[in-house]
Amino acid sequence: MNVISRGVRGALRSPIRAGAIVIMLAISIGLIIAMLAAKAGVEVRISEVKANAATGITVAPAGIRGFAGGGDPLSAEQVATIKGTEHVASVASTLTDQLGTDDTNLTPSLELGSFGQRQQRFESSSGSGAEMTPPAMTGSAATGDAMRQAPTPRTTVTGTTDPDSVATNGGELTLASGKAIDAGGAENVALIGKTLAEKNDLQPDDTFTMYGQTFTVNGIFSTDNAFQDSGVIVPLTTLQTLTEQAGAVTSATVTVDSSDNVAAVVSSLKDSLGDKADITSEQERAESSVSSLSSISGLATTGVIGATVAAAVIVLLMMTMIVRERRREIGVIKAIGGTNAKVITQFVTEALTLTVIGGIIGIGLGIAVSGSITEGLVQNQQNSAATNRQAGPGGMGGPALIRGAQQGIQNVTGTVSPAVIGGGIGLTLLIAIVGSAVPAWLIARVRPAEVLRSE
Amino acid sequence: MSINVNNLTKTFHAAGGEVRALDDISFSVKTGEFVSIIGKSGSGKSTLLAQLGALDQPTKGEILVDGQDITKLSGRKQTTYRSKKIGFVFQQYNLIPNLSALENVMLGLEFGGAPASERKDRSFELLEMVGIDADQARRKPGKLSGGQQQRVSIARALGNDPAFLLADEPTGNLDSETGAAIFTLLHDLSRERQTTIIVVTHDLDIAGKTDRTYTLKDGKLLTK
Repeated sequence: MNVISRGVRGALRSPIRAGAIVIMLAISIGLIIAMLAAKAGVEVRISEVKANAATGITVAPAGIRGFAGGGDPLSAEQVATIKGTEHVASVASTLTDQLGTDDTNLTPSLELGSFGQRQQRFESSSGSGAEMTPPAMTGSAATGDAMRQAPTPRTTVTGTTDPDSVATNGGELTLASGKAIDAGGAENVALIGKTLAEKNDLQPDDTFTMYGQTFTVNGIFSTDNAFQDSGVIVPLTTLQTLTEQAGAVTSATVTVDSSDNVAAVVSSLKDSLGDKADITSEQERAESSVSSLSSISGLATTGVIGATVAAAVIVLLMMTMIVRERRREIGVIKAIGGTNAKVITQFVTEALTLTVIGGIIGIGLGIAVSGSITEGLVQNQQNSAATNRQAGPGGMGGPALIRGAQQGIQNVTGTVSPAVIGGGIGLTLLIAIVGSAVPAWLIARVRPAEVLRSE
Repeated sequence: MSINVNNLTKTFHAAGGEVRALDDISFSVKTGEFVSIIGKSGSGKSTLLAQLGALDQPTKGEILVDGQDITKLSGRKQTTYRSKKIGFVFQQYNLIPNLSALENVMLGLEFGGAPASERKDRSFELLEMVGIDADQARRKPGKLSGGQQQRVSIARALGNDPAFLLADEPTGNLDSETGAAIFTLLHDLSRERQTTIIVVTHDLDIAGKTDRTYTLKDGKLLTK
């Protein structure tokens, strides 16, 4: 029997006490693993957000936002200018239009609702130019009712060079069925939103009419966004041709070759496009996301430090108590020829044994709860961010920033990688060593003459 | 191997002032002698034993073991001195409670540098020599009687063939019959193995049977 096996046996000398200590250590180490996993997951997400969002710039015609506002779309020359700007890696161009009942045989899947009705209250009936009466004002007292057309829901059609730009998750557009379209071509092919397809009972290879032409459904897409899932996607050139807007673009999403060059590209575009375009960098959005993620990461780091300190204190108090209880035994070992190093090694082994057992259970516990703890941290951050937004002033940038922040902290999952396990094991050893340091010092101070003290 | 103690003094600082536990003590012990030290409680017996066993440092004086002053040894060398040249037997036995009797004896052998492969057999031999059978050897101290524990303690002390065996009240916790048996065991050892034994005791009967008896009173050695 050597000093190590004596240490291991010594650790388990009192099963009840050893069990209690192991449970406390397991909880602390489990928390360390869970926090490390959450931190690793958040760090991965931060890298993704920085890599993806931080290189994006949105160029929209000045004064136009969606179907609101006014002004001229971007021209082919302006798009060419954007593409020719230094450090621009790619440009996804988009043109949107709305289909009325006369433009298509598709039945809209979006209910108009009070919002839609209000948006159409100024529109003319049959091209007369007469102002429509807002729904709230229709009734017997209103004049000229017969002249006004009842508001009707519409279907949005998006012409794009990159269907993925319609995806709301920042990644690729998800096709529920069918195949993609050649967005660079000019064929009459379309991707139909899931809700719209269900409403019109459309399947891949079915056809429908739009702008007096027959279109083939290539695929059905799903975005989990009610607005997008009620729309149609076609190649940009097809829509430009059918709407007689050759070269026109209502939004260009620019990807810069590096996040370091975003500011320079924004500056170049502002110089070249002047007041004809509104240019929005996604860096601000990314920073908002990263800020939220960094908060979670900071919280996880604090948790790791707190749990490590707590575990080290548990070991320290435990070992201090054990050394005080066993002063006489230490004195005996020294009196019969045991060196300080041997005694300290034995007691550190005792601490290490309990810590390792606690560590093994803790790592298993940490892996089991890392998902829910990460989820809890993200949920807490989302709630916190929502509370702060409600308290703060509104503004045009608000929705984009909210979306950005939410997209940033969504999809964060605890990552129990070998590095996390390694970190957990390293911290476990650190706990044992730090927790044993003071008791080791106490052991070294025990005089062998203690053994001659009477009980 | 002889011991020569010259002008040994040990003082402690207490609340009431300086206490001289040992006051200028000088004596010598020859190889193979069985010596007893008697005295009342607080007379300095255990303090003297601690100095002889290099468990504590004297305030003044020297302890020459075969001409070498052990009070001048470094801490590491004092540890080696304790492990190889001294065997301790305590009143409270002081066996490690979670180790078996056999393992307690093996522990002393380990500290003395005995090869791992020899420790077990040697320990069984030692235990058999002091009257502990193989079954008892595998029991933990809590499962042994006081006399059996003291025998194990003696076996542990003898493991490394020490030049001196220092015993602090070895029969103090035992009934008279068992105490007598332990004393006989120590006496036989001193005769058969030429082991120098110094026993601190209250028991005048035991002291009377040793080769020489020293009496301590208030830190001073009265009888030579």
